[in-house]
Amino acid sequence: MSTRSSILASAALLALIVGGPAHAQQAANMTFFVTSEGPGKGADLGGLAGADAHCQKLAESAGAGGKTWRAYLSSSTNAANPGATVNARDRIGKGPWQNAKGVVIATSVEDLHSDGNKITKESGLTEKGGIVNGVGDTPNMHDMLTGSGTDGRALPNNLNLTCNNWTSSQYGSAIVGHVDRRGNADTVFQHSWNSAHMSRGCTQADLIATGGNGLFYCFAAN
Amino acid sequence: MHRSVRLALLACVALVSLVSITQAQQQGPQAPNMTFFVTSNGPGKGADLGGLEGADAHCQKLAATVGAGGKTWHAYLSTNTNAAAPDKTVNARDRIGKGPWQNFKGEVVANNVDELHNAAMNKISATTGLTERGQRLPTFGFAPNYHDIMTGSQPDGRAFPGNMNLTCNNYASGQFGKVEVGHVDRTGLTDTDQAHSWNSSHQSRDCTQEGLQSTGGNGLFYCFAVQ
Repeated sequence: MSTRSSILASAALLALIVGGPAHAQQAANMTFFVTSEGPGKGADLGGLAGADAHCQKLAESAGAGGKTWRAYLSSSTNAANPGATVNARDRIGKGPWQNAKGVVIATSVEDLHSDGNKITKESGLTEKGGIVNGVGDTPNMHDMLTGSGTDGRALPNNLNLTCNNWTSSQYGSAIVGHVDRRGNADTVFQHSWNSAHMSRGCTQADLIATGGNGLFYCFAAN
Repeated sequence: MHRSVRLALLACVALVSLVSITQAQQQGPQAPNMTFFVTSNGPGKGADLGGLEGADAHCQKLAATVGAGGKTWHAYLSTNTNAAAPDKTVNARDRIGKGPWQNFKGEVVANNVDELHNAAMNKISATTGLTERGQRLPTFGFAPNYHDIMTGSQPDGRAFPGNMNLTCNNYASGQFGKVEVGHVDRTGLTDTDQAHSWNSSHQSRDCTQEGLQSTGGNGLFYCFAVQ
């Protein structure tokens, strides 16, 4: 009896072990994911460099650390560094990009920023292959930090919608997109994966308050 | 006896003339030809102006205090792009009449809507952007600095796209949110187009009175006579 139990347990364990590498192999080809978690300090990601490092770290944990990972984030021109404008679309390589299950979400930068974009709740998976909570789920975490217009470019200089270029976890605001392409109204912006609305503030609580959790998109640039 | 009556009479006359002088002083300066001003104060609840209607009423009230209440006054404010009814979106530039507009001193700040939204032709400055009482505002370099003027508008005087709420919920929020502001003195921290913009320099920290003050404002806005 107890022998049979341990055999069963061993078989289950073996299945788990076999299942693990299979998933890791898939993830090795992953070139797009939504962060399963943020750094935890609201929209303070440690700047673009910190956000990229976070992408890299999560990718590594999923067996996809061999690529150069970039966060899909724009930065604003700022007073201290007027030449600092960065467009999210210009930093993510050329595509195509596929999620942890091998589903291609866009074939090129143009495709990504067109109606051909295939990011949805089902395809906008985390590095672990998990689905991100969207509208109707509790809590809703569908807000993705981007700081970008619908075209993937930085917003004009009279706005600061990047939480001070991803260094503020207090005052400011960030433009977010909806990974599930859904919101509280049937408008172009509510369906936008990258430019749906502004966050209430830059704190973790503020990001949560409007349906987010400080998550963002990561793309393999090579 | 006679003498005390006469003294009392004199006292009464003195009192009456004092009262009329005080009344004249309280009435203050009059500017019936004024068609543009910056509010000397806001309603006091941050960016909660009671919506566009409340803001217009505030303009009208302040104009009336200087004898310019006979015109129809509108606040220079845009509302959010209205998702449910996009045609109901309000652009500040579309609600202020045709111009020309002149300040308390009769100085013309713009001849028409296009001139007003042309950075090179618009004559709004620290010296011409006067309140309804003809006063200059404490601007950049002063403490406090009240140069941030709420507009909720892009540089062209139009509403922002529907993915942005830069109007403090259409001037109904005195707490969360942001409002876009311009610099009446055309001066800011940097030598950039936006710092020099009279109507679209930067967003506020939030919608509270303290939030507006923290970035160089006091909940003030522009008022224009439509007619």
